[in-house]
Parts: sequence; C-alpha cells; structure tokens
Amino acid sequence: MKIQTKIDEKLNDKILYQNLKGFATAYKASKENAYKGLDFEVLRTIVHDLKDRDLNKVMQQFNQFKENVEIHGCKVFQAKTGDDACRYIADVMKNHGVKYMVKSKSMTSEEIQLNQYLEKEGLSPIETDLGEWILQIANEHPSHMVMPAIHKTRQQVAKIFSDYTGEEVDPEDIKAMVEIARRFLRESYFKAGIGMTGANVAVASTGTIGLITNEGNARLTSTVPPVHIVLVGYEKLCDNFNQALDIVRVLPKSATGQIITSYVSWIKGRNISYKNEEGIKETHYVFLDNGRLAFFEHPKFKEALKCIRCGSCANICPAYEMVGGHVYGDRYIGSIGLILTALYQGDEAAKDILKMCIGCRACSFNCPSGIDLQSLISDLKLVVGKKYGINPIKAKVFKTVVAKPKRMKSLLSMGASFQFPLTTTHKLNQEKIIKMVPMLPKEMDFRKFPALAAKTFSKRFFREGYDQFSSHRKVFFYPGCAIEYFYPEMGLAMVKLLQKSGIQVDIPKKAACCGIPAIASGDPDNAKTMIFNTLDSLNNTEDYEALLVLCPTCGGAIKHEFLDFTKEDPDRYKKAAQLGQMVTPVGKFLEDNNIKFQVIDQKKVTYHTPCHDTRSLGYSAEVFLSSILGSQFVPLTDSNVCCGFGGTYSLDFSSISNGILNKKIENIEATEAEILVTDCPGCVMQINGGLMHQNKAVKVLHLTEFIENHLIVVE
Amino acid sequence: MILLDQFLEKSALVGNENRIMKMADFKNEFKKGDFEYINAPGFQLFFDIRAGEKGIRSALVEADFAIAETGSVVIDSSNENLRLATCLAEKLVVVFPLSKLVDSLHDVAEFLEERTSGMGGYVAFITGASRTADIERVLTVGVHGPKEMTVIIINDL
Repeated sequence: MKIQTKIDEKLNDKILYQNLKGFATAYKASKENAYKGLDFEVLRTIVHDLKDRDLNKVMQQFNQFKENVEIHGCKVFQAKTGDDACRYIADVMKNHGVKYMVKSKSMTSEEIQLNQYLEKEGLSPIETDLGEWILQIANEHPSHMVMPAIHKTRQQVAKIFSDYTGEEVDPEDIKAMVEIARRFLRESYFKAGIGMTGANVAVASTGTIGLITNEGNARLTSTVPPVHIVLVGYEKLCDNFNQALDIVRVLPKSATGQIITSYVSWIKGRNISYKNEEGIKETHYVFLDNGRLAFFEHPKFKEALKCIRCGSCANICPAYEMVGGHVYGDRYIGSIGLILTALYQGDEAAKDILKMCIGCRACSFNCPSGIDLQSLISDLKLVVGKKYGINPIKAKVFKTVVAKPKRMKSLLSMGASFQFPLTTTHKLNQEKIIKMVPMLPKEMDFRKFPALAAKTFSKRFFREGYDQFSSHRKVFFYPGCAIEYFYPEMGLAMVKLLQKSGIQVDIPKKAACCGIPAIASGDPDNAKTMIFNTLDSLNNTEDYEALLVLCPTCGGAIKHEFLDFTKEDPDRYKKAAQLGQMVTPVGKFLEDNNIKFQVIDQKKVTYHTPCHDTRSLGYSAEVFLSSILGSQFVPLTDSNVCCGFGGTYSLDFSSISNGILNKKIENIEATEAEILVTDCPGCVMQINGGLMHQNKAVKVLHLTEFIENHLIVVE
Repeated sequence: MILLDQFLEKSALVGNENRIMKMADFKNEFKKGDFEYINAPGFQLFFDIRAGEKGIRSALVEADFAIAETGSVVIDSSNENLRLATCLAEKLVVVFPLSKLVDSLHDVAEFLEERTSGMGGYVAFITGASRTADIERVLTVGVHGPKEMTVIIINDL
C-alpha cells in the first residue's frame, strides 16, 4: 500500500485519533510528575554517556557476560541475522519436543518476526503481555513500543476476546476483559515447555538480565517453564548494576510516566526449576546482531544504539500522534523506529517513512538516552534522498530556483507583480492573501496562503534608507526567505525598533535561502549550494554584536547545519562556526540588552513557541512576554508543540500538517486571546493561514510586529 | 524520618496499603493461619507450599530491602516457591524492618551483584500490584499476579 493511502486510512480512524490524543496529553502530565525533583538533563546525560562505546567495548561486555553464564552451564548463541536467531529458538523448541512457548513482550522478537517464523514451523509462541496477546489473537502487530494495542478500543478488544474464547464479553467492562486474559494466560504458563523473555539491560559483571514490567508476565514466563530463552540485542549490555540502575531510573518514567514499574526482575542463569527433569533451569541467551554491531563504529548512527526502548519519542511526536505506529515506523515505531528501520532493514524499507518526520526536534529533547533523534533522521533523509531521489518538482525548484538567488529573486518579484488577479484581502484581518490557488488538491486547502509582498524586504530596506543609519553599535540581520518575500514588515519592525535604540542594522547585499527546505526534503547537493550562497552573503562577525534572525529555523540552520555542510571547506567552516556562535533570536537580544517595554492596550495575548526557538536556539519569548503583559498574558496549552508547518512538509503531508494545526487552533481558541504572538514567520504562515481559512478572528503577529503595534519602549 | 515519608508516599501512589507497627503488634495481628504461603526468616515465620496454576489466596514474605526513592521492596526470590507464591497470590503482604529502608536504587547495587553472581539468582523489585493499562490506557490491577499489596514496616527493629 502506498504511504499516502496508509496515512489517509489512519487519519480517518476517529478512534485512533482520540486514543492517541488522549494519551499524548496524559503522558506529558505523568512524565512531568514522575521526574519531579530530578534533573532530567543530568539523568539522560548519564545514560547517554554509559551507552557511549565502540564495538571493542561492547564485545568486551559481551565476553564478560558470556563467561559469567557459560561457566554455570548456560548456552550463549550469537545470532548474526534475525533468521539465525529464529532458527536457533525453533531448534531449542524442537529438541525439547515443545509446542508451546510463552513470551513476555520483546521488541527484539518483533524485529526478527519470531512469531511468524515459529508459526510457519508449526510451533506456537504465546504472547503474555496483555496488549501483545490482544494483537496476537487479532493477527496484528504493535503500534507502540510499550503500549502495543493503543490503537484499540475496549469494544474492539471485547470483540476479539469474544471471537477467541467463544464467551460473551461485556464491551464496556475492561476489568472483566483483564480477568479473561488472566484466566487464559495462566493456563499457558503451565502448559508451555519454554519461556522466552527479552532483556531491558544485560549486566556484564555478573551475567544478570534486568526486566522491567508492570503485569508480572515476565516473572511467570521466566519462572514456571523448565527452559528460559533470553533474546537480547548487544546494545542492552552494560558494565555493572550501577549503570543498569541508571537506566532503570529513567526508563519507566519516560515510557509511561511511572516512577518505577510494578516489577523489576534481576535474573541470573540457572535457578531451581521443579518442572525441569534435572531440577534446574536450562537457560539460553541469544545475542542478536542483525546489523547492530556494524553501527557501533559509525560516527553518528552509533547514537541510535543508545536507545533503551521506552517509546517516548512516539509519545511526544506530533506526526505520530496523527497516524500512529502502524504508519509512523515499522517494526520499531516513533522517531527511533524511522531510524532503526533504515539501519536494520535497509534504506529501501525506510525511504518513505523517513519523510514523515516534520523536523520539530521534540524527540531529541525528550529522549532519556540523550539521542539527537531528529538529526539522525535528517541525515538519513539526505542519504535516501540522494539514493532514491526526491519529489521531482521539488528537486527542480531547489536546483533551478532556490539554489540560484538571482533567479529566485526575479521570479518571485515577477510573481509579486502578476499575482494581483489571484489575490484578495481577508475580511477578518485585512491581510493580503491568495484568493484561490489554481489546481490545489483538496487536502492542501486547509489554510490561506499569504500573497507575495509587493516589494521585498531588502528592496524596502535599501530604498527606504534604513541602510543610512549608522552607529558604533551594530548587529547583522539575516532575513531568510519568508521575511524577504512574504513578510518584510516583520523585518522592518525590528529594524525600526533597534534603530530607535541606537543600534545599526546591516543586512546581506544578496538574499539567499538557508538550505533548510532542501535538507528537510533530503536534497544534500542543492542544500550545500544554498548554504554556501548564504554563508558567502553574510558579513564577517568582527564588527557585530549579534547575528539576528526572525526565523529560528534559519537561525538553527546557521548554528547547526552549516557546520555539517562546510566540513570539507575550512574557510567556510570557520566562518560558519563563528557566525553560529552569534545567532540570536530577536527576543533574546532585547532581553540581553535590557530594553524594557510597556503594553499600551488591554488585549489578551497568548504565545506559540516555535520548535526551533527552544530546540535549536535555546530560547523562548514566553517569559519575556508574560512579564511585560502580566495578567493580559494567557499561556497556551502545548505552546511548544509544533504547529504542523515544517516548510514543504505541509505540502507533502498536508493532511498530517492540517491535523496538527487543528489541535494548535483548538488550544489557541481555548485561551480566548485576541492576539497570538510567535516569533517564526513559518509558524505565522501556518497558524494565521489556518485561522483565516476557518474564519477565526484571532490576530497572529510576529513578536516584532506585536512590539511595534502594542508595546512602547520604557526609558 | 524523611526516607520513611518518601517511601510511604511512593508506595501509596501505586495503591499499596502501608502499615507501620511494632514487632509485638505484628506478631499479634498476623497469624500463621492467615496466609497460604509464608517466608519471613527475620520473624521466624515459614509456611511452604508450591503455588500452582490455580494460584493462592495470600502470601506473606519478608523484603531484604525497601527503596525510598521508588517505594519498592527488594526481595531475593531465588527460592522458586517464594517466587511462585509472590507471582500467584491474589493478595501479597510484604514485611520489613525499618532498618532495611534505603535511600535510592543505587543503594541496592551491591546486593544485586552479590545475589546474582553465582550459578543462579533472582531478585525482584516489587512496587504495587500486577497492573496493566493496555486497554484504552485504563489502569487495571491483577492482570497476572497479585491484585492487592500490603506493606508492613516494623519500626522497632
């Protein structure tokens, strides 16, 4: 099935929508509670660092683990591929003449599709985690790593149970359904000849595994049957219990917002087993490579092997929240799912799903192992974009227009001159918009597009004499495409404000794109051209106090992506690094310079935090605004959740973009604010476009325009 | 007693019943006949059975440690019958002397190392009843194991 069809199917699933939305809200609150009093940054740095190792180190840990268990008669098998692991496990079952094997939840077994393999061999694995069991008897696969059946309602589960058991099941009574599972699965533990578990951690110093569960199924699985098989990826190894406990401290908090799960079981080797003829458990450890080991040596992708499988990158992903894990991921889901699909199953399997990342970076800041997930996705997008090509229209536009600043300028100014038959003025806020975009597919028609500005920002800057103001205090301003071509007034508002405070503003002689549209689309070659164009157009840093941006995405590009793309060009790299240090969002510059403001009217104001303000530039204007506005300021629920724009993402995945935007608009309406302030022209384009499309009278202003129209400087 | 308060708060959060009592009161209130399985060596209380598929009504076990940070009890469960009983009892009662209460997870690292460095080993952190939220995220207890849990802290030991 094509990805777009799969997306549409999920977007039309009202139940899925409610379940995921409800979960996202509840999760954030419980996670915050669980980490209360703890320093998340410190904890995740600890986990990140303890998982920072090369292949040599992992093999040392493995050998130590192996020695510690083999000495007591346990068997250790190193599976090169998923099939090797499946075959080994099937052979253990066959050698014991065992038909039934109980399993506690193991994502690693999902990775290698163990159940399918065993069933083909006529063997019967039985999932014992409630969610996994529901899906097993429904013949589905998990849509979330820790809540596999999150896409199912109680009524659907009741139907599945009723079909399976032949009993009548009350479709409202979850407790009764859980009782059914208890009854059926209890029998399974006792009839199974083998129990199989995964491992959340594998402690090298003793050869002990740690299992984190709530239901207690892993305890029964590893206790009752006479044989225990542990399937574990090498990345789960750690040196000792101190490290293992560092992981246990964060995993449940990030996974489900629990301080700790009901059970954490530490299991070593061969325990007494009354069901085993020898009176002692037979234990097998299957260590899975399946492509992992190669990446321990990769400078960037080794980061992905730090994942502790909490699933929280899905919990906070706005795109996942729209479509769920059956689309957003594959065997693994969420941000890490996109990455691991590429690493374990190959880029062919990942090339479509990688594009679904909107680039908001929420996952990178939420990962309890400190993995910069979004950057890895971005890198992989470039790899698959280059290999498989990107949308041909985009490729052409990037190559022939965006990467050629002169041509872009002349084309867009032509557009600005000839667009008038298509433009109109929106009746609610008098803004110039495109009346109707010819041949726009229906799903893209969810917001009004702003008209191109009659004169570009640069043109007005030079024509209106803003370049004539000189002062010993100077800043450099990089306007970026949105300000240059659509919203010059945002830039001019800032220039006027700063000049009033005695600060000279210089701008590039030539406007050029920062490259982000090409990077986000997976087009490294054109991205590089754009970045070089921009870099060459920016003045050197010596004379300036700051490099100001009104678009945090451009700012983030200069700060981060410019470095990646100039690595082989020392002069440009040096310039990028120096400029990156100076990138400052305008709000921060005003705060740092202690420029004080006072509000001149009584309007209620709320604020949307752009993704790349907090997550690329480390700043949000929320505190700045609320301190000026006092009780006129109403905080926006999920202020820092993406608005759904993501540049060309909003065209490629317009229905997801629209869904995310609608949640934003719901939250904005709940504030009853008259003005929404934000400080990213992309967010303005998206949110304002959506509000105008829905005829909602909230005024959307960039921070600079808000200051110009509603605040005065206090001397 | 900051540690105790912290433990009680976290333990209550997962729905446990928490009791603090003196040794003599414990001995008076909890009689051998009340439980189908007992393993509390520190209190010289034992009653051994092997819980099977039908499960058992109740079990009383002694914890080796309790962790204030998480409200967990730490039980060396390498004894198979103890493990079966704690897995299969409808009601689980865990007792420990206050002196066994430690601050953080890392305070039991050494214990874990020691108890699992031989041929076999099985140590459990237990924090509340067996629970699931797999159907519509509705918290439901008793999916495989105990449906309720009581923690008894003996404060004069």
